[in-house]
Amino acid sequence: MAQRSGEQIEERALLWALVLAAMLLSLLPLLRLLLEAVAPGGTLSGRAFESVLRNPATWTATGHSIVTAFGGTLLATVIGVAVGLVVALTDVRARSAYVFLFVLPLLLAPQVVALAWLQLFGPSSTLLKMIGMAPALGSRNPLYSPTGIVLLLGVQYAPLVFLTLRAGLRTLPNELVEAALAGGARPFTVLRTIVLPLMTPPLVAGIALCFVSCLGNFGIPAFLGIPGGYLVLPTLIYQRLAGLGPSVLSDVAVLSMLIGVIAVTGLALQDVMLGRRDFRIVTTSTTPRTWHLRRWRLPVEIALWSLSVLVLVVPLAALLLTSLVPAIGVALTAASATLDNYRFVLFEHAAARRAFRNSFGLSIAAALLIAALAVPLAYFMVWRRTRLLRWLNLIAELPYALPGVVLAIAAILLFLKPLPVIGVTIYNTVWIILFGYLARFLVLGLRPVVSGYHQLDRTLEEAAQIAGARLLRRLRTVILPLVAPAAAAGALLIFLTAFNELTISALLWSSGSETLGVTVFSFQQGGDTPYAAALAMLTVVVSVSLMLATMLVAGRLPRGVLPWRD
Amino acid sequence: MTTWAVRALRIVLGCAMALTAATAAAQGAKGKLVLYTSQPERDASQTVAGFKQANPGVDVEVFRSGTTEVMGKLAAEFSAGQPKADVLLIADAASMEALKRDGRLLAYPNANVSGLAPGSFDADKTYFGSKLITTGIAVNTSAKNRPKSWADLEKPDYKGQIAMPSPLYSGAAAIMLGTMTMRSDLGWQFFEKLKAEDAIAVRGNGAVLTAVANGEKPYGVLVDFMAFNAKAKGSPVDFVFPAEGSPAVTEPVAILKTTQNADAARAFVDFILSDAGQKLAASMGYIPARASVGMPSWFPQGTRINIMPTNISAVVQSNSANLKRFADLFGN
Repeated sequence: MAQRSGEQIEERALLWALVLAAMLLSLLPLLRLLLEAVAPGGTLSGRAFESVLRNPATWTATGHSIVTAFGGTLLATVIGVAVGLVVALTDVRARSAYVFLFVLPLLLAPQVVALAWLQLFGPSSTLLKMIGMAPALGSRNPLYSPTGIVLLLGVQYAPLVFLTLRAGLRTLPNELVEAALAGGARPFTVLRTIVLPLMTPPLVAGIALCFVSCLGNFGIPAFLGIPGGYLVLPTLIYQRLAGLGPSVLSDVAVLSMLIGVIAVTGLALQDVMLGRRDFRIVTTSTTPRTWHLRRWRLPVEIALWSLSVLVLVVPLAALLLTSLVPAIGVALTAASATLDNYRFVLFEHAAARRAFRNSFGLSIAAALLIAALAVPLAYFMVWRRTRLLRWLNLIAELPYALPGVVLAIAAILLFLKPLPVIGVTIYNTVWIILFGYLARFLVLGLRPVVSGYHQLDRTLEEAAQIAGARLLRRLRTVILPLVAPAAAAGALLIFLTAFNELTISALLWSSGSETLGVTVFSFQQGGDTPYAAALAMLTVVVSVSLMLATMLVAGRLPRGVLPWRD
Repeated sequence: MTTWAVRALRIVLGCAMALTAATAAAQGAKGKLVLYTSQPERDASQTVAGFKQANPGVDVEVFRSGTTEVMGKLAAEFSAGQPKADVLLIADAASMEALKRDGRLLAYPNANVSGLAPGSFDADKTYFGSKLITTGIAVNTSAKNRPKSWADLEKPDYKGQIAMPSPLYSGAAAIMLGTMTMRSDLGWQFFEKLKAEDAIAVRGNGAVLTAVANGEKPYGVLVDFMAFNAKAKGSPVDFVFPAEGSPAVTEPVAILKTTQNADAARAFVDFILSDAGQKLAASMGYIPARASVGMPSWFPQGTRINIMPTNISAVVQSNSANLKRFADLFGN
């Protein structure tokens, strides 16, 4: 009896600590924004709601947001599922190299991707000039369009769908597949009736993650939409805020709630879909069966590699060429090519060096802290079905679904004054950016873990419980090893996203706490595109080197820890 | 022999210490200084480097963005009661005038204004123009036409070919808008015609330069120094001073009343207005406020730039209405 209550106290304490942390990260900033919306400047009024909802620009941007988010998600899903199935289930060759290449776009900041693609298609495109196909002077870059935005969103986020699907396919029970095949089912029937239905949880999770990412993406619609006057909600908010200042903070709070409503609707739909049926899988097999493509193998391989060359290698080549020109618009020749831009950002520009240090520190800290939080949090959510936390799950989505600028403004409002009790000001330090990252990327770490718990059977943990192991011990010795691959995948996603993050740090940085995203963006905005390209190339090199470096220790990690490793 | 050496060393050391003390006293300023500026990244870091050379005791922190964004950040900090900035170096006097009206600026009566044009600084010595930045027309060298005036841009030849900076981001563009819309020869009509000709408003002057140099938009409304600096580095860009005149901003420097380090803030204003600071500006391609230090290398010898007069107080009055109208017209 005494042990029982001791365990209960331990569980309560842990639960409340988790609730407190999650509320602090997710709910507090949102409440501060909500306060601003219903009580602009501190007095209660419906003025902000009225002025925003009556403004036609609001509904135009909402329409644009929905169109591009759906389009981007659809494209990402088609690409992600196709590549995921082929790579995980068939006998294509050089899978490791291909997975590495395919996941890479996720590493690149959206603004870097947009910048690279713009270099590719503009009238001064070195590449198009080489083949004599550069468009005439003054001709519109075809990417300045909704189609361009959808295309880049799809390319950017296809790896998200791919990663979650592939993680799911690893637990695909071979018994069922073998049984179906033995019963004479054709491969496509197996795919349709067994594989895809069983993969519903990871697929829905991946698609949901992809949808909120597209909805909240700022870099791509900022680069491709603003020049053509095609505004989505995040860019509308950013422009209002940047152009008209905090006088519109209340309006912007209302706008951001609109995005929140769209995101929550999508996510609620996900919960409904998963809630109806039981998708838990019990399997003893660890490696899914390999399907032999036979004479289709070469064509499939060619299609896969062409896709990656097109969406990754070619734009990166364009970015590389831009980083070598002495000034924008100068034709690149053997004589004009220069490494001056690299020299400047590496050796002459102190802020760029600091940015590397800050971005590394912030991304690692955010990834580790969130992983540590997500494992017990998701445990209570999924296995213990704690109602409070399941509700909190939806709240945790919001800081990620909302555009980073809104979270940034909420953070400014929260932290401008010294923290209560301890009296320390974190505004104008890296800590406020870290808070922003933790709040925003919590869901990135949480989602894979939640879906991991969904797929794992609880019997092992229950056995440990019956044997008398307390929760903290079970977490350490039973649960953590089980969900470690999912948690590590989440942490890596966070690192990759945070490393090149721009939208939050754009408003929260100060001298000394510059991030790489901010520095690239500052160069680009000041008209120093070659510097921006050089720094962006360096971040790409660093990210790729890091990924390669983790491959060296990959043998010691459980399978599925490194998303880019087959 | 040894005693001599020791004695000599003592004297040298004594002199050195006295000298150091004297320089420290003369400079005085130390501690932390927070600068909010709209200068391009590279120029801002060069300005800070120049200032630190003259005031090694001061640690400078910089926040850089478009003028409107800098003002937005400031306003957020005012409303929360904790402005962080000590000094401002932003594009235009209208923004400064607005801050002055709200009682946000600290006067510096002893600032060295000798040799500055009388209109270039506030009579109450709260802000001081540091340079002259005119806005004209940048042209890609492969472009068909060569506009001579603002009015030329309204012609059908330029349909879909023009980029301009958004006044919702750039302070220089806000002044341009305020100045040009008040003129009878241009007015709002000019901007409406540009819109009808599918001109686009991009975020800032940097984005205009990129579009023009890339050839995406062969013509752009742009500040002078960016065009000439790019040209000097080999970009296919030329610059036209339009016939009607060039709207201009003075990139004023000012001290916030809430500064935590008034000594360092004054030292910063001193540096910006000093011959060294002005020469640095000229070397970065700006027309300095103090003409005696010489012009930037691109400056056409012997020419006089025709500056469009700006009624600052009228611009301050109409600024937010202007920005809203512009936003409605161009969508950003």
